[in-house]
Amino acid sequence: MRCGDFRTTYAEDMAIFETRFARWALAAFLAFLLVLPQLAASYWLDILNRIGIAVIAAVGLNILTGFTGQISLGNAAFLATGAYVTAALAGKAGLPFPVVIPLAGLTTALVGMVFGVPSLRLKGLYLAMATLAAHFVIEFTITHWESLTGGVNGISTPAPRLAGFLFDSDRRLFYLIMPLAAALLLFAKNLFRTKVGKAFVAIRDQDISAEVMGVSVYRYKLLSFGVSSFYVGVAGSLLAYQARVISPENFPITVAIDYLGMIIIGGMGSILGSVFGAVFITIMPELLRLMTGALAGTFPALTELFAALKMGFFGLTIVLFLVFEPDGMAARWHTIKNYWKLYPFSY
Amino acid sequence: MTKTIRGALLSILASAALVPAAATAQAEIKVGGIFDLTGITSDVGKPYAQGVQDAVAWVNAGGGINGKKVKLIGVDYGYKIPEAVSAYKRMVNDEKVIMINGWGTGDTFAMKDFVAADKIPYFSASFFGGLTDPAKTPYNFFIAPSYSDQIRAWLSWVKADWKDKSRNPKVAFLYGDNPYGKAPVEAGRLFCKENGIDLVDEEVLPPNFQDATSQLLNMKQKGADYAYINVTTTGVSLVLKGAKALGLTTRFGSNPYGFSEQLPLVAKEAAEGVTGVVPHVPFGTDVPGMKKIVDFHKANHPNDTHDAMYVRGWCSALAWSEVLKRADKAGQLNGEGVKKAAETLSNFDMGGLTNNVTITPTDHRSMTKTPIYQVQDGKLVKVAEYDMPRKPEWLGL
Repeated sequence: MRCGDFRTTYAEDMAIFETRFARWALAAFLAFLLVLPQLAASYWLDILNRIGIAVIAAVGLNILTGFTGQISLGNAAFLATGAYVTAALAGKAGLPFPVVIPLAGLTTALVGMVFGVPSLRLKGLYLAMATLAAHFVIEFTITHWESLTGGVNGISTPAPRLAGFLFDSDRRLFYLIMPLAAALLLFAKNLFRTKVGKAFVAIRDQDISAEVMGVSVYRYKLLSFGVSSFYVGVAGSLLAYQARVISPENFPITVAIDYLGMIIIGGMGSILGSVFGAVFITIMPELLRLMTGALAGTFPALTELFAALKMGFFGLTIVLFLVFEPDGMAARWHTIKNYWKLYPFSY
Repeated sequence: MTKTIRGALLSILASAALVPAAATAQAEIKVGGIFDLTGITSDVGKPYAQGVQDAVAWVNAGGGINGKKVKLIGVDYGYKIPEAVSAYKRMVNDEKVIMINGWGTGDTFAMKDFVAADKIPYFSASFFGGLTDPAKTPYNFFIAPSYSDQIRAWLSWVKADWKDKSRNPKVAFLYGDNPYGKAPVEAGRLFCKENGIDLVDEEVLPPNFQDATSQLLNMKQKGADYAYINVTTTGVSLVLKGAKALGLTTRFGSNPYGFSEQLPLVAKEAAEGVTGVVPHVPFGTDVPGMKKIVDFHKANHPNDTHDAMYVRGWCSALAWSEVLKRADKAGQLNGEGVKKAAETLSNFDMGGLTNNVTITPTDHRSMTKTPIYQVQDGKLVKVAEYDMPRKPEWLGL
């Protein structure tokens, strides 16, 4: 019987799904996801759609921070860019969504690359401050460019339409968001089997050696910002279509911190980790709300404490993960999977 | 043997969890409540929410809506628009509420298209003028004069109070950087222009500000005689204390969410002489409608203090309870029926708690009279009342 690492061809070595079981399991999961909207209440559909959007944006941030090692606090700003470009193109110009979503992604990629230029000179905390500047600049632009963005009052986006079919409910939007998320996830996973992806990882691991080796750190850092911001821009675009009304209040700095939390908890440098992190952080406030709602009968003060509980729990989770599982939920998932795969020979 | 017993127990418990859902399917009317209990306006949001909840309890104790009980499904959204939209979706799609009592300007205005499409009458605590035109916002209502009429009334008081004939009074606006703060500003600017008042300064107060010194110094440079503050009570007291520390002689005025019995308690001497818009009477005022509120308070939470915000919540709930009664009598207990019933309110008497309510299919300005109160010796005293004409060009402004 197969035990541990046993490959006979290069294709097998590079395969994303190593066993037939993995492929079938994924196919079954996708089929389940396709059926899910017909069974779920609209409250849960709203959450599922938000998870889908968070997954795309978390993968984007992971490409930049987890795989290329560039810390970025500008995630909320790039989400806002994608969302407002969508509101402008779809709402004011009336373009259809197959045109709007890629355009929003490309615009955000350009914006991301502009704010990524400091990364050529800065690393770590200093780069984090520079990307924080991106957040404040974009937030200011949105709040004060009232003719385009509606300022603090916000702007609405019409529902996406495909040849007469209107994606106007969460149930229908799910069929737009999920396939797009799946496709983008597959692209990202594949990206790290290619030269570009490996260049990103080389920059993260040791950028001086990478430069010496022939990886153009300048070009690939900017490309990383571009690809990452494209993902986040697409997520922002879907957010504009899902929330229908967006305002600067949808994109406070806490959103950027939430996304960093997602990739830390999920696992930096892992696509699966981005998914876990996105699901966990999006579902956590809802579960807390259900719990405080259920307990509100016996402890009425809990409803008022909810906001504080949410923050406290978020911080506690990050600390616990950093201490006990620094590689995140993805690493724990792989450990558990390997245990069962190799049972009873866990060596 | 134990396994089957365990399995049986589990299935009994599981089915027991389903039973309450069936038991609540009696005749009850579900009304949604979107409140701010923890956000930046929670200082006024909490008493308002308490007022709405108490009023609903009082209505239910008195027989409900023609025998049907009102079930208020209240949610705290922390003054965040995305949370309000999620709460709205939950209430309309899952809980199937018939109408909603909402709160903030930003979220109410953001959801105006949703409520119109879903036909959910939305009684907000926001009195934004942009919600008064049924051609644009057919399902939005509120029980008060609009923020725009309020600032016009206050500016009328300024004009009456200004005694120097040699020049116009100089006025400044201090407002928060959000839709609620900016709500009356445009109407205020127009009114100043048309009535010989010099608007010399507009200062924006950032959210959660702790200190307004730089804005007040700017205002001092421009030499404003009067200033209208458009934030909530906590913000107003910060501005007043800052002004006192700087020794400003500007006379301040505030909108109804910045002015209540709490203000003299928090700002102490700095609040003396400050005027404010008070569309719903302070708690304990001797008017016919106050008796039931005071009795309810004595019976249920005698140790709490209440203020005008609490009375405001009562007014809103009492008004829409009457609307629900009318809709039920007409046999139209649905969104459209409730809207039509709301538009039948004509000079509806609120027992002195607030001015009479008139809503028509073409005009959702529920009242046009605005009382102006002043803090004298730490107490709120009514000094004037101004009735704004129902000008068509002011509809929706």
